[in-house]
Amino acid sequence: MTLLQVRDLAVKLRERTLVSGIDLDLVSGESLALVGESGSGKSITARAVLGILPPGLQASGKITIDDVVVDGKPELASPLRGSVAAMLMQDPFTMLNPLRRIGPQLADSLPRGARKGEASRRDIAARLKEVGLDPAVARKFPFQLSGGMRQRAALAASLMRNPKLFIADEPTTALDVTTQREVLRLIGRLKQERGMGFLLITHDLRVAFSVCDAVVVFYAGRIVEAGSAEKIRASSEHPYTQALLAAEPPVTGRAHVLHALEGSVPRHDDVLNECAFAGRCRWASDACRSGSPELREIRPGHLSACLLAGDLSSRHFDFPQTGPGEAIERSVSEPILRIEELSKTYHGTSAPSVSAVSLEVGQGEAVGVVGSSGSGKTTLARCVVGLETPSKGKITLADSDVTSWMRLDRARRRELRRVVQMVFQDPYSSLNPARTIGATLREVLGAMGQPSDAKHVNELLELVQLPTSYAARRPVTLSGGERQRVAIARALAGRPALLVCDEPVSALDVSVQAQILGLLNRLREELDMSLLFIAHDLAVVRQVCDYVYVMRSGEVVESGPTAAILTAPHHDYTKALIASVPRDDRSWLDS
Amino acid sequence: MSVAEVSVLRSSEARQARWPAPLVVISLVIVALGFTAAIFSSIIVPNAEQENLLLGISQPSWHHVLGTDELGRDVLAMLIAGARTSVLGPLVIAVGSMVIGNIVGLISGYFGGWVDSLAMRWVDMMFSLPALLVAIVVTGIAGSSYAVALIVLIVLFSPGDARVVRGAVLDQRHRPYIEAARLSNLSSKRIMTLHLWPNIAPIALANGFLDFAFALVSLASLSFLGLGVGPGSPDWGRTLSNNMGLLQSNAWAAAAPGVAIILMAAAMNVLGDWVYERLEARGLEQ
Repeated sequence: MTLLQVRDLAVKLRERTLVSGIDLDLVSGESLALVGESGSGKSITARAVLGILPPGLQASGKITIDDVVVDGKPELASPLRGSVAAMLMQDPFTMLNPLRRIGPQLADSLPRGARKGEASRRDIAARLKEVGLDPAVARKFPFQLSGGMRQRAALAASLMRNPKLFIADEPTTALDVTTQREVLRLIGRLKQERGMGFLLITHDLRVAFSVCDAVVVFYAGRIVEAGSAEKIRASSEHPYTQALLAAEPPVTGRAHVLHALEGSVPRHDDVLNECAFAGRCRWASDACRSGSPELREIRPGHLSACLLAGDLSSRHFDFPQTGPGEAIERSVSEPILRIEELSKTYHGTSAPSVSAVSLEVGQGEAVGVVGSSGSGKTTLARCVVGLETPSKGKITLADSDVTSWMRLDRARRRELRRVVQMVFQDPYSSLNPARTIGATLREVLGAMGQPSDAKHVNELLELVQLPTSYAARRPVTLSGGERQRVAIARALAGRPALLVCDEPVSALDVSVQAQILGLLNRLREELDMSLLFIAHDLAVVRQVCDYVYVMRSGEVVESGPTAAILTAPHHDYTKALIASVPRDDRSWLDS
Repeated sequence: MSVAEVSVLRSSEARQARWPAPLVVISLVIVALGFTAAIFSSIIVPNAEQENLLLGISQPSWHHVLGTDELGRDVLAMLIAGARTSVLGPLVIAVGSMVIGNIVGLISGYFGGWVDSLAMRWVDMMFSLPALLVAIVVTGIAGSSYAVALIVLIVLFSPGDARVVRGAVLDQRHRPYIEAARLSNLSSKRIMTLHLWPNIAPIALANGFLDFAFALVSLASLSFLGLGVGPGSPDWGRTLSNNMGLLQSNAWAAAAPGVAIILMAAAMNVLGDWVYERLEARGLEQ
């Protein structure tokens, strides 16, 4: 029985179209993934289905949920929300009311009049048990729970009225890799046990393949490929999907080249009469630009909007080739950075964030620090550059004691800031929104004692492969990847010997991530720079780092050459981390 | 496209497409009239304070649009002449307390530690004083001079600015762009003026508009009580208290200065909101 049917859905913001021509079908008990990068329109589509678009956005088209016509109209969809269709949001940290206990929050999902009494308590306990939580959690406040537990509680809330259609919008993006695996397993189990229709919105093709039966790939507000997860995984029939798969860093080895997609996702309206992907497609021809290709059936149950579909598999698309080239032995001659027994306890907390960590970064070496959130890896990085002062231990940078940057005399501090620089996680807040790129770079060049003229600004921009015309632009006009390039250029102004990167790619889309990783590798080689690379994603670390330290709860639990650690881990935590890296089949969720 | 992005987009498109709300246009006109009168009063009404004892109190007529007061002075001319002290004074107070408040707030929020504690205890202390009462006492003791009234009000208003600015700075201080600036060897002064301030300007400026409105009322209250401006001055507060007795004979004379004070203060409040929204919308786009 068809649970959800969408025909020719379009969402408009005044005269601008954000998505158009969306057809979806979901049968009870089946699962469908909407996959795409940021700006592709996948979230907007899901919100249109439930009639919860942000104000100002207009949906048109035919939508039926469980044979009820809703057509994206809030007044038609609202009686169904919660009872027939439920949605789980992305961020478990802001989704629950911090001032109320979990139990009453779950009871809110019940119909008026059924929220109190023994029956509702039994219901709540049953739901909590179903999502793997102790019924006693009902008496707790959200702040007493971890992120994973909160997401489970939110999941329990959306299941309170036994919905037939369950929509999850990036349910694990805000969670750690290990927690992501648990939550995805739980969702997989629930959907099987309950026989619900399941719509998953995700940016990660591997997650989509391993959780869902069918996959729909979005690009610039259109569907470019749709079909069973099996078929798309085995042989994708759209260059965009292929490019996404090829940009995914493998955890099994270091790729010689990660294929990054150059450029960024165009606006829907700019590519109305051509293939939306033509601007970035290596096989694009005039035919691709002379009309928007229709979705057509390539084989039963597999649709693609590529003119070349059916013929694509014969063309060679280089998936990342891994092979030798990874160091097995460490050869640290002269460490540029040495950390000895470093501890940091923040004011007002009892447990140290970092405790007795020792670490070395050799000249020209790339060293990774991996761990889940709360492992202390970011605190460690901040201590190195002097944004935090350690409580105990010693940091030596280029033969200078920099344990406390505050105590260094001014001249020495200025000099050492030229030796070490940092790239931050969030590219959207790491540039001053009020200044142009050129002004930012000129200023930093000046402060680093370099000539701060246009020529040197252009040199920096070229170093990170940005057009020199970007000097006149403001951060608002740049994409996340471009901003991160500018942030890297800024860090390189003083030609540092050591670059500390704090999760530089975790906020970026996978195709952009591949660009930045490639850039970092090239820069490191060209400038003979050392890297201290903080990340939670082992696959990313494998592409960049020669040596890796694994941190948990402020301590280093294991360290060694990246290849050795990732192929033959000793510590249980490292094993768990490796098992949590998404693969493109169910295996990583089952074991 | 995330929902947040869409709402940003919407606000920026809305901003380009729409004229300001009618209330904003009206407020702009009122404020423009007020400042024109304040700046050019000596040209528009050079003889505003000329008495005409023979005429005395009169109702509005063609010659005297708002009538005349006990001394036969034209009420409208007095109103225009009074704008000088009534409107320019609050401007000085708003700008003065903004400058002091922004400097203190920036330093306090950026450096933190004991500097912050010291500055904030000063703010607490000032907040605990009943502002108008202090102003009355000080102007009473130091002699009823307009300059003293301005200085006292600047001192009393700046802590409010300081606290607001400090709050905004605390919100920005740990953003990566500020930390990156610190790591790039930029001086604290440069970070505060070129990096922090432009990003908190919407709040600081909107607060300045509110300061203006409060200062206008406070200053008028002082002169109503006979403090601040000298006797015989056409200041709105002063005129209001002088003309109170005329309610029966020429109600226009009694009401005009009060209405001017209210309109001007209300218009400034509206403009403050409007400026904040516009600047914030720009900030969101960024």
